[in-house]
Amino acid sequence: MKISLNWLSDYVDITGISIDELVDKVSTAGLEVEEVIDQSDVLANMVVGFVKETKRHPNADKLTLCIVSDGTNEYSVVCGAPNVAVGQKVPFAKVGAIIPSNGLKLEKVKIRGEVSLGMICSEKELGISENHEGIMVLNPDLKEGTELAEAFGMNDIVIDVAITPNRADALSHIGFARDVAAIFKRKFHYPKVEIIESKKKSGEAAKVEIIDSKNCPRYIGKVVQGVTIKESPEWLKRKLKSIGLRPINNVVDVTNFVLYEVGQPLHAFDLDNLAENKIVVKCSAEGEKFISLDSKERILSSNDLMICDGNKNVAIAGVMGGENSEVTEQTKNILIESAFFNPSSIRKTAKRLGLSTDASFRFERGTDYNIVIWAAQRAAQLIQEVAGGVILNGEIDAYPDTIPTRSTSARFSRINKVLGYDVAKDEVLNILTDLGFEIQEVTSEGVTVNIPGFRHDVEREIDIIEEVARIYGYHKIPDVNHISVTLEEKVDQASFNDNIRNTLTSLGFYEIITNSLVNSDIAERFGHSIKVLNPQSSEMSHLRPSMLPGMLQSVSNNLKVSERNLNFFEIGKTFEKKNDGEIISFEDFIETEHLIIGITGYAIQSEWYGKDKLFDIFDLKGFVESFLMSIFPKIQFTFQQKKSDFFDLTFSIGVKENEIGIGGKVKSELLVLFDVNQDLFTYIFNIDRLKEVEVSEQTFTDLLKFPKVYRDVAFILDKTVESDKVTEIIKGASSNLLHQIKLFDIFQSDSLGEEKKSLAFQLEFYDSDKTLTEKEVEKDLRNIIKAVEKTFYAQLRGS
Amino acid sequence: MLSKISETRKSFDEDLSKVSNLKSLEELRIKYLSRKGIVPQLFEGFQDVSREEKKNVGQALNELKIFTQNQYDLFKEKLENSLKSSEEPDIDISLPGRKIELGSKHLITQTLDEIKEVFKGLGFSVYEGPELESDYNNFGALNFPDDHPARDMQDTFFINKNFLLRTHTSPVQIRLMQQKKPPIRALMPGKVFRNEAISAKSYCLFHQIEGLVVDTDITFAELKGTLVGFIKQFFGKDVVYRFRASFFPFTEPSAEMDIWWQPKGKAGRWLEILGCGMVDPNVLINVGIDPEKYIGYAFGMGIERPAMRKYGIDDIRILFDSDIRFLRQF
Repeated sequence: MKISLNWLSDYVDITGISIDELVDKVSTAGLEVEEVIDQSDVLANMVVGFVKETKRHPNADKLTLCIVSDGTNEYSVVCGAPNVAVGQKVPFAKVGAIIPSNGLKLEKVKIRGEVSLGMICSEKELGISENHEGIMVLNPDLKEGTELAEAFGMNDIVIDVAITPNRADALSHIGFARDVAAIFKRKFHYPKVEIIESKKKSGEAAKVEIIDSKNCPRYIGKVVQGVTIKESPEWLKRKLKSIGLRPINNVVDVTNFVLYEVGQPLHAFDLDNLAENKIVVKCSAEGEKFISLDSKERILSSNDLMICDGNKNVAIAGVMGGENSEVTEQTKNILIESAFFNPSSIRKTAKRLGLSTDASFRFERGTDYNIVIWAAQRAAQLIQEVAGGVILNGEIDAYPDTIPTRSTSARFSRINKVLGYDVAKDEVLNILTDLGFEIQEVTSEGVTVNIPGFRHDVEREIDIIEEVARIYGYHKIPDVNHISVTLEEKVDQASFNDNIRNTLTSLGFYEIITNSLVNSDIAERFGHSIKVLNPQSSEMSHLRPSMLPGMLQSVSNNLKVSERNLNFFEIGKTFEKKNDGEIISFEDFIETEHLIIGITGYAIQSEWYGKDKLFDIFDLKGFVESFLMSIFPKIQFTFQQKKSDFFDLTFSIGVKENEIGIGGKVKSELLVLFDVNQDLFTYIFNIDRLKEVEVSEQTFTDLLKFPKVYRDVAFILDKTVESDKVTEIIKGASSNLLHQIKLFDIFQSDSLGEEKKSLAFQLEFYDSDKTLTEKEVEKDLRNIIKAVEKTFYAQLRGS
Repeated sequence: MLSKISETRKSFDEDLSKVSNLKSLEELRIKYLSRKGIVPQLFEGFQDVSREEKKNVGQALNELKIFTQNQYDLFKEKLENSLKSSEEPDIDISLPGRKIELGSKHLITQTLDEIKEVFKGLGFSVYEGPELESDYNNFGALNFPDDHPARDMQDTFFINKNFLLRTHTSPVQIRLMQQKKPPIRALMPGKVFRNEAISAKSYCLFHQIEGLVVDTDITFAELKGTLVGFIKQFFGKDVVYRFRASFFPFTEPSAEMDIWWQPKGKAGRWLEILGCGMVDPNVLINVGIDPEKYIGYAFGMGIERPAMRKYGIDDIRILFDSDIRFLRQF
């Protein structure tokens, strides 16, 4: 919200406070200043100019060549206005000025061959009015060279303040002034309202009936008769313009002025357009139509509070008036509405209609039910001042149930306990008084106050503590520099993932983070996905059911920039529905943490020491094995070949009964979807299951004191025999002296036969208690050979 | 004869100890072991030895022969080896080594780690929670009234009336306080969502880290002290900061912490770094903790913005594009 400092000084004296200090102090007290706008900046590089000479432009009949003086220099200027004449004082924009009407920066130009070093401006070009008849002619008493901002009295500074949703009371100049006064210990006052009223009472010219008093607890009507609708006077227009409002006509401008002065939204009805001169406040009928002030047809619901006259709707309460009762040039008699509406009712209607107005913004945050009479009187006073007419006596005050004044107490000891600092008692009382709280009782223990009607956010002791703290100044409360640390069990639920990240980065993987939201095509293809009710776009309409699309998209992004060799991993959540019904509890969906790793492109490329090698499935398996070995050094995992919708060469990994991961070579139809034109190998682990893997306590094993014996053995087998089956048989046939089996060569050739292959194993034997004898090893070896030969009809190679 | 043999052995030892290169070794060989050398000459004289002496002398002669030959061989090998190892092999050491490319954690993870490190040192434990949350945990329990404009502060992705993508990590506070009684000293990092259009300035998700402390003697002053300590460790001890009163439904009094940001060649300004405050008594009541007995403070900060500022990144989208050229830089 914009606050004009000139306007602000009508209610609080801010002389002697620098802009920087003001901005800093109000910001730290909770009214954050986001921008400071010096209005004179708009007219920078513009001065009062004196037209010294004029002559016809040699190449254009309608242009005039002028010599303009700013008192020190003379400038030749081409001017197109017919009314320019020697001896005039004019608004002169120099080269470098930015013309307010179009935002263009003036440069030195040639117009039809003649140099022009600036511009003589019209009112429209200066943004003062719509008048573009000719150049603006200034008061001849002005001294040439005077800054135009100074000549126009545009010395205002406007600050843009972000008001938090709890501080509806600060959404006006008076509300803001109250905080400023409290912070700087200055005097704060409301403007005096002195009006001369006719004998006739407002209640004789109009009636107000509240049917829905829950949503409209109070409604004030005040009548002004015989007004003349016209343009507002300069002072009023300037005030509104200073905070970015567009003047409309004198009566509407007054209602807007009062809104920004005290925060009470007002509405002015053309009384003669209200059937039976009557206001009725009630909820709409379902499906009723209404044309609001912005000429749009609105369809209403039975929850929308409406302002009606004797027979029709005339305004959406607290949101926007209607075309049928608006103030026009013909309007003579006015009913001023000054009401208090239930915040949540206004919010529902405004939200449903997608209509946020200055009025609804304040009503839904809570306005002051006590200020309504003052606001109506203030409006009447100003309407009479700018539009003439007669103010009828008194107000129609429809207030079925008086809202009780709320009060609360605060203990001094509690203030100090929460803040950790003793704020003096007097200080507490002063702050509360300055903020408009009425002190009811003070004891040695604490204080009881009445809460002003404009502070809907204050109801409890803690709210009082906050008021004291923010006005006293957070900076004055010390930063305690020694803290007590509780000695309790240390928990780090994130440490498992930290471990995973450390392992994978040392294996050469880069961590990525991808969007958790995907489009419906992808969502449906990859799982039982969950839809977002109000997505930002169709591209982000579902929660990801799988980590795979993010990996595919990431690879795709990199291929587009010719980065083809990639090792990526991501840790993230996936979301899937458990059934087709609506999600009504946490049981209806599963959120699972996953790890995905992906490799694509070359493992070795263009290196002097090695042949180029593309990643293949065994690189993937190798990374997976290294990863598991690092995270679970002692656990035996089982690898199993599988079929999958997403992968070829699929293998799963399990521990005991649980599958903890699955992956392989991503199917080409998925690659095509993401424009990926090279093989991608990925593996997906379920982290929630990984975390469940039972890890026994790690113990130290004695180092071997006796030598190991190695034997190499190779078999010729059918091509279809799986290597780990052979390994199993070897294991089974040997004694406990065999400790490791390593497949070190796979060989196929014509000489072996088309359907055959050779597998060569290195076997490691040792006995941890003594040195092995040749005999023992030979015996094992014989058993192994016999078993393999028998099981697979294999032949020992080289025999 | 025997004395001659022992003298020869002595002089051989002496000469050998003086040998320093292959040339002097060769001279030694010629002197003692060549056909006309001292040792073969001694064998020539063996025939003149008396019969009774022959056995002793013969044995001594043989020993001398084996000894000198062995000594010579050993020494030669040693000398050759030492020469070999000092010889420069014929390689081009300017060739690149066989290096292993290390990966890296995402910039966001790195920043989170840095923050976690500071608070773990201050005795905080780390907790996590789900991203798909109930409206109650995300708003209701945190003292956001229904139909209140405070809800507009956080644009929300809803799944339906009761479920949503969490807009902050604060629901983890609720879950934690429901499970665990004070004292609590917790840190809660995680991914959060805001229903905003994707642009250079905003993304539909970001990361937050939140802290919660609940105990009997917690004060606003301690909250301030803790956070001042944190930002000094994180941004450097000369950081200029301020606490600014603010509003969050779940804390009261509430504050935001700004740091003074002075970009090179541009006007400086205050930058909001984190939000904080004393846990609102309503929140404590909602999780069954007595607000008269216990006081709490909480704070929360986004990760993306400080990280982007620290490294001069001006488009948030690059964090989530997985561009390896970007990832390799961190």
